[in-house]
Amino acid sequence: MAPQADECDRVRSPMMPATSSNVEPQAAHYLDIVDVVKTYDGVRRAVDGVSLAIPKGEFVTFLGPSGSGKTTTLMMIAGFEEPSAGDIRIDGRSLVSIAPHRRNIGMVFQNYALFPHMNAADNVAFPLRMRGVERAEQLRRAAAALDTVGLASMASRHPRELSGGQQQRVALARALVFEPDVLLLDEPLGALDKNLREQMQVEIKHLHGSLGITTIFVTHDQTEAMTMSDRIAVFNNGQIEQFAPPLEVYARPATQFVGGFVGDSNFLDVVVSDPARGLVRSNVLGELATAPSTLAAGTAARLMVRPESFRIGAGADAPKGWWNHCSVRIEGSVNYGDSVLVMGRTGDIPIRLRLSGSDATPLTEGDTVRVRWRAEDSCLLAR
Amino acid sequence: MTGQRPIGPLTWLILAFIAAPLLIVVPMSFSTAPSLEFPPPRWGFDYYRAFFTDSRWLQPLLNSFIIALGAAALTMLLVVPASFAMVRHRFRGRALTNLLLLLPLTAPHIVIALGYYSYFGSLHLTQTYAGVILAHTCLAVPMVFLTLSAALKGFDRNLERAGANLGASPLRVFRHVTFPVLRPAFVVAALFAFVQSFDETVVALFISGRDAATLPRKIFDAMRTQADPIVAVVSTLLLAAVIAAVIGSRAWQWRRKRMNAIAFAAQ
Repeated sequence: MAPQADECDRVRSPMMPATSSNVEPQAAHYLDIVDVVKTYDGVRRAVDGVSLAIPKGEFVTFLGPSGSGKTTTLMMIAGFEEPSAGDIRIDGRSLVSIAPHRRNIGMVFQNYALFPHMNAADNVAFPLRMRGVERAEQLRRAAAALDTVGLASMASRHPRELSGGQQQRVALARALVFEPDVLLLDEPLGALDKNLREQMQVEIKHLHGSLGITTIFVTHDQTEAMTMSDRIAVFNNGQIEQFAPPLEVYARPATQFVGGFVGDSNFLDVVVSDPARGLVRSNVLGELATAPSTLAAGTAARLMVRPESFRIGAGADAPKGWWNHCSVRIEGSVNYGDSVLVMGRTGDIPIRLRLSGSDATPLTEGDTVRVRWRAEDSCLLAR
Repeated sequence: MTGQRPIGPLTWLILAFIAAPLLIVVPMSFSTAPSLEFPPPRWGFDYYRAFFTDSRWLQPLLNSFIIALGAAALTMLLVVPASFAMVRHRFRGRALTNLLLLLPLTAPHIVIALGYYSYFGSLHLTQTYAGVILAHTCLAVPMVFLTLSAALKGFDRNLERAGANLGASPLRVFRHVTFPVLRPAFVVAALFAFVQSFDETVVALFISGRDAATLPRKIFDAMRTQADPIVAVVSTLLLAAVIAAVIGSRAWQWRRKRMNAIAFAAQ
């Protein structure tokens, strides 16, 4: 299913590519997922009409909570699950009736799935062996692939003799050595500790950059999705809520689910009063300015403001722009060192503000402060 | 358990009481007395020589090997596919199949033996290798099934998916991934079936007759007719074989543990 009517369309800068849409010419598409449905019992749909058009070389992340259909979609691309309806195509060729072992798709599994009875080199050489590559050539290419992931010296180690990060790299080398058409990564960083995870993020990105292979990365970690992707497909309830570059997903979420799942956010109930000028009305805060929208006047909607969009003070000295104001009664704060998360209320609406340390120091519990945010830092979402 | 305390005298006594009958056959096998006698009046290798030259003993030994190998092979042939089906698929009658597979475990051996005796008699399968192999296969099925299905349940199916993903057809996935990973379980299961058949006495007594007599049956016959000291020789040889097998498997386990420890240290 295409993303729901994107209320933020009007404010999209002309630099941003259009989101997945059916009107684009098919020329650039390499991996095409068309109206794919997966149901196990004929009633409940694990994947409910997913369509994605992915150009060659793109790094796409499937982001969503568990059970949202992202892994099932990946499994259908790999061929371990069969779509109940719809089609999956690479370069215009349908994959649906092709057995997994003939698809030429590389995959890194969540638990790496290295063959425990083979050493690293034999693991990496396995896909070449299955393709009838000559033994000497197998070993040469496996060694080269292990070298790319920095494990040249570990070739004769068995998986159990390797650390989690090393196993991960072997799995990556094994998935890439046969030059697959598409690379699938199923939450490959989930089992690693934080530092290693960040290091692997950089390495995977780097590998993607140098190989230019079309990559699909599945994760439930929004930070991973933000830092690694060319585009993010946000999954929820078997559908794609938004398919757009990370910054766009963050700044202009298509739905309230996306706004809440990606990053921290505040939601205000409003009624659209003047869509062309971007004016809305809140029962508590009165008239507020936001970006122009396509919603009709009188529509009930939600205004999303990110916690870091707030500034302290009425803003007489603020740079030009259309600012909204409100008073917030402070109820508590959490200091993260690099920033402070302040929790408060305006009227009866809970508000979260993320402030720099120096802005937050003078604030104490029970204070009421004036805060402001720019019209263009908010986003209007259908309710 | 306090672990480090030395074994007390009472424990030694109990151990001796239990183990002595097991070991008493060893000195008796080196005796030259005309019948089983303890302590042996004189020492010698006469009965060993007799055992290894007497076809009335070597034939049952050979029979036992043939039947145990046959039963192990047939059991694996039946139970390997059965375990895969039971562990990996949901189908109608699955619970009933499970019950049937485990039934021989609960039925008394003597009842099973009687059943085979009358049933195989009408099929002319008594006193044949085929009959004994079939019966022993039936007895080995439950243990082999339990061993294999436990191993299969613990098998990470992502390994098979990875194999397919990397270009291996289902047959090659089995050959290059599933089988090698499960090989230890297959070996243990086959060994179970072999030992179960080699050791089995009750059913063998009823249906193996003279032509397909197994070693346990021959020992029983020899004891019943005359207390032939060759029995002590056979027992000693069996005991030695078992001890060698146990020590061998322990050594293998120890080596694996040590390799894992090295692997752990490497991390």
